[in-house]
Amino acid sequence: MATASVTEKAPTPRPPTARPNLVSVGTIVWLSSELMFFAALFAIYFTIRSVNKGNGIHWPGAHLDLTLGSINTTVLLLSSVTCQLGVFAVERGQVRRTGRVWQVSRWGLREWYVLSFLMGLYFVCGQGYEYLGLIHDGLTLQSSGYGSVFFIPTGFHGLHVTGGLIAFLFVLGRTYAAKTFTHEQQVSAIVVSYYWHFVDVVWIGLFTTIYLIH
Amino acid sequence: MKFEGSLFVGCAIFFGVSDIVYWYYSKDPTGTAALALAVGLAFLTGFYLLFTGRRLPERPEDNPDGEIEEGTGELGFFSPHSWWPLYVGLAAALSALGVAIGWWLFLIGLLALFLTTIGFVFEYYRGVYAH
Repeated sequence: MATASVTEKAPTPRPPTARPNLVSVGTIVWLSSELMFFAALFAIYFTIRSVNKGNGIHWPGAHLDLTLGSINTTVLLLSSVTCQLGVFAVERGQVRRTGRVWQVSRWGLREWYVLSFLMGLYFVCGQGYEYLGLIHDGLTLQSSGYGSVFFIPTGFHGLHVTGGLIAFLFVLGRTYAAKTFTHEQQVSAIVVSYYWHFVDVVWIGLFTTIYLIH
Repeated sequence: MKFEGSLFVGCAIFFGVSDIVYWYYSKDPTGTAALALAVGLAFLTGFYLLFTGRRLPERPEDNPDGEIEEGTGELGFFSPHSWWPLYVGLAAALSALGVAIGWWLFLIGLLALFLTTIGFVFEYYRGVYAH
């Protein structure tokens, strides 16, 4: 038996075909459909804006705090950078830091994602603070057309950021729940970064439209 | 994956040209913004395919002489059996119902959604699957 198998030429196993990861492809396709969701929100904004302006109603219908909004936006933009540095750590296969906490160059996935989470949390809290001020000034979802088109798009964006924060927690939780840093964890960390960058880019559009252009 | 990527980028270019023409003749920001995001819709997928395609070796699909059996192998992880999507779906339905009935139910639904998602995300990290 043994001799027979030596003389027969065993078929050489082919390396598995390299394909883009299905989770990544699915995330990208889903994110591109999410763009259409936000397209509808932009359409709401511009439609109400043109109708209100046509009726001679003052636009924008509230005074927005541009300084606070700019600081929030900057923090959100920088959180995309820290998130990407986390992805670079994933690509090195480094889940935890190799040095002290302040040795930023030795940070792993966990440290970068915790920092990104905190920056995202700052953004959500900053938005909440701005909402409170606007509600105090009498601008609510029901108060006017401007109230609706301010709160609906920014509110949906805030919900997306909150979802991203939960996703950061899930990725971090997965790294702690398992003893080894698996390929699946790498993929989930990377697709969460895709989502985070997406939310960031959408915010640039919303911020430009609502705060800068009016 | 050059071909798939080019198809999507081609769509993006089409939407982009349509957008410019649309803006020129209508000056309507609503449709212009929607078309601009349609450019994003097509470009995002196209860019991803082209970018990823450059980092991966050629697939059997890219080879005109490729055989179907060359595409065999592991495709990814597929959960063989899970009740969690059902629970996540029920929690999402509860949240949606909450929008119609009242904020209190919406918040309960969100909490249920959060808890069931934890179950879903960590299903293969607990019990016999712990690793």
